[in-house]
Amino acid sequence: MTSRVLRSRRNTVIGIVLTAVMLFPVYWMINVSLTPQQDMRKSPPDLLPLHPTFTGYRAVLDDQLPYLWVSLLIGLGTVTLTLVLSAPAGYALAKLRPRGAGLLGLLLLIAQMVPGIVMAMGFYGIFLNLGIMNTWWGLVVADSTIAVPFGVMIFAAFMSGIPDELLSAAKVDGANLWRTFTAIVLPVSRNAVVTVSLFSFLWAWSDFVFANTLDAGGDMRPITLGIYKYIGNNNQEWNAIMATAVIASIPAAVLLVLAQRYVAAGVTAGAVKD
Amino acid sequence: MRISRSAVSAVVACCALVGASACSGSGSGGGSSSGSGTYTFWDPYPQFDSSAAWAKLVASCGTQAGVTLKRTALDTTDLNNKALLAGQQGSLPDLMMVDNPFVSTLVQAGVLTKTSDLGLDTSALQKNIVGAGTTDGAAYGIPIGANTLALYYNKTILTQAGIDPASVKDWASLTAALKKAKAAGKKGITFGAIGTEEGSFQFLPWFWGAGGDLNKLDSPQGVAALTLWKDWVSQGLAPNDVLSNTQTTSWQEFATGQYAFGENGTWQLANAEKAGFDYGIITIPGQNGGSAPVPTGGEFVTVPVQKDTSRYAVDKKIMECLTSNTNFLSTDTTLSYIAPVSAVQDQQVQQNPALKPWVSAIAAARGRTSGGLGTKYPVISEQMWTAVQGALSGGKSPQSAMEAAQKGVASHQS
Amino acid sequence: MSTAHADDLHRSAATSRAPSEHADPPPAPSRRSRWVPRGSQLAAWAFLLPVVVYLGAFYAYPLYRNVDLSLRHYTVRSFVQGGAPFSGWDNFRQVIDNPTFSTALRNTMVFTLVSILFQYVLGLALAVFFHRGFRLAPTLRALFLIPWLLPLIVSASTWSWMFNSESGVVNYGLHLVGVGKVDWLTSPHWALTSVIIANIWIGIPFNLVILYSGLQNIPAELYEAASLDGATGWQQFRRITFPLLRPVSAITVLLGLIYTLKVFDLIWIMTRGGPGDSSTTLSTWSYRYGFGSLLPDFGPGAAVGNILILIALAFGLFYIRLQRSQPA
Repeated sequence: MTSRVLRSRRNTVIGIVLTAVMLFPVYWMINVSLTPQQDMRKSPPDLLPLHPTFTGYRAVLDDQLPYLWVSLLIGLGTVTLTLVLSAPAGYALAKLRPRGAGLLGLLLLIAQMVPGIVMAMGFYGIFLNLGIMNTWWGLVVADSTIAVPFGVMIFAAFMSGIPDELLSAAKVDGANLWRTFTAIVLPVSRNAVVTVSLFSFLWAWSDFVFANTLDAGGDMRPITLGIYKYIGNNNQEWNAIMATAVIASIPAAVLLVLAQRYVAAGVTAGAVKD
Repeated sequence: MRISRSAVSAVVACCALVGASACSGSGSGGGSSSGSGTYTFWDPYPQFDSSAAWAKLVASCGTQAGVTLKRTALDTTDLNNKALLAGQQGSLPDLMMVDNPFVSTLVQAGVLTKTSDLGLDTSALQKNIVGAGTTDGAAYGIPIGANTLALYYNKTILTQAGIDPASVKDWASLTAALKKAKAAGKKGITFGAIGTEEGSFQFLPWFWGAGGDLNKLDSPQGVAALTLWKDWVSQGLAPNDVLSNTQTTSWQEFATGQYAFGENGTWQLANAEKAGFDYGIITIPGQNGGSAPVPTGGEFVTVPVQKDTSRYAVDKKIMECLTSNTNFLSTDTTLSYIAPVSAVQDQQVQQNPALKPWVSAIAAARGRTSGGLGTKYPVISEQMWTAVQGALSGGKSPQSAMEAAQKGVASHQS
Repeated sequence: MSTAHADDLHRSAATSRAPSEHADPPPAPSRRSRWVPRGSQLAAWAFLLPVVVYLGAFYAYPLYRNVDLSLRHYTVRSFVQGGAPFSGWDNFRQVIDNPTFSTALRNTMVFTLVSILFQYVLGLALAVFFHRGFRLAPTLRALFLIPWLLPLIVSASTWSWMFNSESGVVNYGLHLVGVGKVDWLTSPHWALTSVIIANIWIGIPFNLVILYSGLQNIPAELYEAASLDGATGWQQFRRITFPLLRPVSAITVLLGLIYTLKVFDLIWIMTRGGPGDSSTTLSTWSYRYGFGSLLPDFGPGAAVGNILILIALAFGLFYIRLQRSQPA
């Protein structure tokens, strides 16, 4: 028992060290966001922001906070749309063996290779014609194109691991395909749901290309576009650019930590229940 | 000024490859037809939000012309890309501020209206500034102002190292000054030699200062300019990281107070005041003395081609308003540009004597696409910055780098 | 512990897939005897319909444009006004004859394979580590995702800050341990290494999250049984974790390959593909054609892009083969 506690404590320490190493660049970004212009290229660099300047943060807090809500809205919208589209498709590919599934799989693969800028330029024409330029939900549609092929492939990979017996049993119990999907497949695939949600949220949150091409003139713009304000015509205000990134990532990071805790708890509970 | 932000623009225009969308022809002129009383306006000044003086000026020019002017601000590179895309989709704005070296590309794409067709006259403006927006003798826009490059120097270091800035008259005396600074334990000079248009912009004063001709990159003059830079880097008079320096990061280096000289632009004046040390400005010397010709930066107000030609009358009014002498003064003060009209330049110097060296630098400046180069310039420029990168990173001699560049230009044109 | 025993363990691991299955799982069904409901073709496509419509609506057009661009001779004028002449394989020929092609291809391969190798190995090691479930593990694991919250412009710029040869913290660290200055971003010998390091950093969270989810799907009973049998940690990893993680590993590596082949903005921001072509990959090269100068050259750019798509397709076909040959 004590050795177990000891080991757990040792793991925690190692975990903290690893996380610290991983997040060093993030720390460095924060450090830069606090560094006055004249010290940014100081050699050797200051390891700690000893003479912090908060001008970047002040500017960002004054200008950018409303955009956070838009980013959140777009992120959650993208998660929803991605799940709705990709979970049933992943199930079909993994378990229903439709003819032409291989071809569809390849198409999904190719779809992911289309560079973002090409997609964005394609959307430009499509959005103009549909009249959904500069709307936040148009951006949700665009952002989910990054995540949908990913989602389908992840769901297919995870759902192919569900034992067929489980599904046959449901069939014997008289459940139709849809019911089998919602009552058995989805709950068992909780991990895949979490993974896909996580990445679709992250992609939408940090997207720049689509936002810039399709929503630059909109009234509801995500926070990534806020960085623009600090990109002068000849000069970049790196304090403020970095500060925007820091401020934009704090609420999302909190959300992630909470979600992970919830999910971790849910998965354990689920495992017992199953 | 086109300059920088390429890093940002990279992400902006993100991801690679190819472009374009299309449904060509099916676009119905979305941007400009959003209501007869509403006109659209694009500019590359995202740093100015709706509360900025510039935004208010744009709005008031619209009001004076009897319409609502809706402004959208985009990063320069992004604005360039979007202009081509919007041209394809027929959704160009009514007015657009275009970075000067991109004007000729847009003219070639057939999306800009001749200024004379609008009934506007550019003869009162300084010739060399208008030149960047002129193709085959026709002007395609009115410059809002111009900026350019000069050498900032750190007075403290120069005093310490015993350098008299007035003694820097040609390349030899400049190199001697850099050596003195290094001997005094400081660093010599910093500039931006990044592999983008920005790198070419920074290299041009030296290239032209040696008497180089963009039509012949591998001339002895061109090679001499590249040799100068390469020697500075290899002798430690300039840091190795100039290779990845944008003009902003190069400025950050100068702002550390460790560098004797920094090649940078008009727009850094405000930052120079905040740098915390005394600074001075001299024009960039030519190889054998005199001021080197410097490239002009800055945007043009242009009117993209519209299906509905009746809109031009209002466009003209708005353009006249934006380029009136009074508005030149306030706009160019905000942007830290030099006005394209000598009367306004005088007023600017009166307001701020520090602008004096810049006004004379602008007088000797050239447009990058001037001299009939037009869309040949982008091709030449790309080869030129590639040569600079190749030579400075140690891989190639200046001679062979420039020869390869000239070959690259030739093969592109064949 | 005998090898025979380990093989037993392997077999039982390979056949049991979900927590719901307990003692004595039936042998894995072969592909033929899979559970397939009746009338399933129609139903299957009903499940797929939304995605198919979505793909058709949003991907078909850009893909078509990409191919069209690469087969025509575009100038800025014909790009805007239309009427670019068909030029067959000219763009492809031009691209392949260019000396940059072989450099870019080699860099792409090195960049992709080295990135994937490290991302996967480190991601897996971290996933296994976090799977031990110690105090703070969920929180720390969530923190690992923070790099993904940052717009790439910011994280890539931070890396170029850190790698700066004059004032970067990396060289400062090396200096403290007595190693001389390295021109990370400005030397042709180091530029590719630098962008690979940054890319590995960016890719670790992706691998960690997906592999971790995969680990959670492995029933805990297997490990309990194994440790009762005296299997060591490494044996458990080799006999249970790794084989059972295979489908998830395969998809992770495949997706990683695709995303890594596509990476351009990170490299573009850090080095612009330079100095020279020393860190130019196919995707940065393609971007350079289309957007790197003031005069876009879309045709060859699209050709390079399509070559990349073909490379990804080859990996995809390989993946599908692999999946077919895989038992169960």
